Amino acid sequence: MDADPRLALVVRAYRALAYVTGTVLIILCFVGIPLQVFANNLVIVRYVGTAHGILYIGYVVVAFAMTRMVRMKVASPGTVIVLLAGTIPVLTFIVERWVTRTYINPALAVSAGRPAPSPAVGR
Amino acid sequence: MTDASAAPRGSGGSPPRASAAGQAPRWRVLLTPRWLGWHLFAVAAVAGMCWLGDWQFRRAMAGNTLSWAYTFEWPIFAIFGVVFWVKTIKDELRPAADGAQVSEVVLPAGAKPVPGQGTELAEAAPAGDGRGAGGGRGAGAGDRQDDRELAEYNAYLAKLSREVRGHGRWHGLR
Repeated sequence: MDADPRLALVVRAYRALAYVTGTVLIILCFVGIPLQVFANNLVIVRYVGTAHGILYIGYVVVAFAMTRMVRMKVASPGTVIVLLAGTIPVLTFIVERWVTRTYINPALAVSAGRPAPSPAVGR
Repeated sequence: MTDASAAPRGSGGSPPRASAAGQAPRWRVLLTPRWLGWHLFAVAAVAGMCWLGDWQFRRAMAGNTLSWAYTFEWPIFAIFGVVFWVKTIKDELRPAADGAQVSEVVLPAGAKPVPGQGTELAEAAPAGDGRGAGGGRGAGAGDRQDDRELAEYNAYLAKLSREVRGHGRWHGLR
């Protein structure tokens, strides 16, 4: 039995948005803001900042759907960290790895009818 | 009106209410001080996001084009805050499904769940069944020994199940 296609789709969308949002945020914070502060150059902040704002809305919606599907509790630190990760540079990459190990892989395994590879600790 | 006069005089509605008053309804959890604090936080957060949206709108009107994006973003975040809050409450009001899953302990073949959650050792419970079902299992004394061990094992499993119940759930809102 294959993994639930809806779960697989949401997980793929979450990963894509996590990486894109994370990359855009790194550009914004480590290129755009120094340029704004030291060179008074607003081009990157203006366009990349707006792009990150729009991407983050998508990230929040998809990431929240993902936390529901892998059965994370709504008002848990884990869920809040996943959602806020999109606003803190580099954190999306770390959180994506952690969520994959702790929740996504077990959920995929369960939906595929196999026993979970590792117990979901810290849920 | 005609219905009211036709109904028997005694069924005024107070007897069922009195029986229901014995146990508080589930949603009462939402009125505990901790939950009231969270409600307050949610309202403040949503109001704050609306205020930030308004602030960005004023900045946008003042000529800051970058603020136009944020003018629309903050209300969206405020809506998401409301959704998050509603989902949290819905999650809180049905933890029973989780509990039922956890309590389904896989018992070994031939074992029976001990009534009363196994808090007492319940030597009597499986004794009759065990001897009746396990016909080819040997004579009385050994069988009774089995039953005793089985009951103890069941009690142990029930104890583990009780200890683990509620784990794997974050207790911050309880």
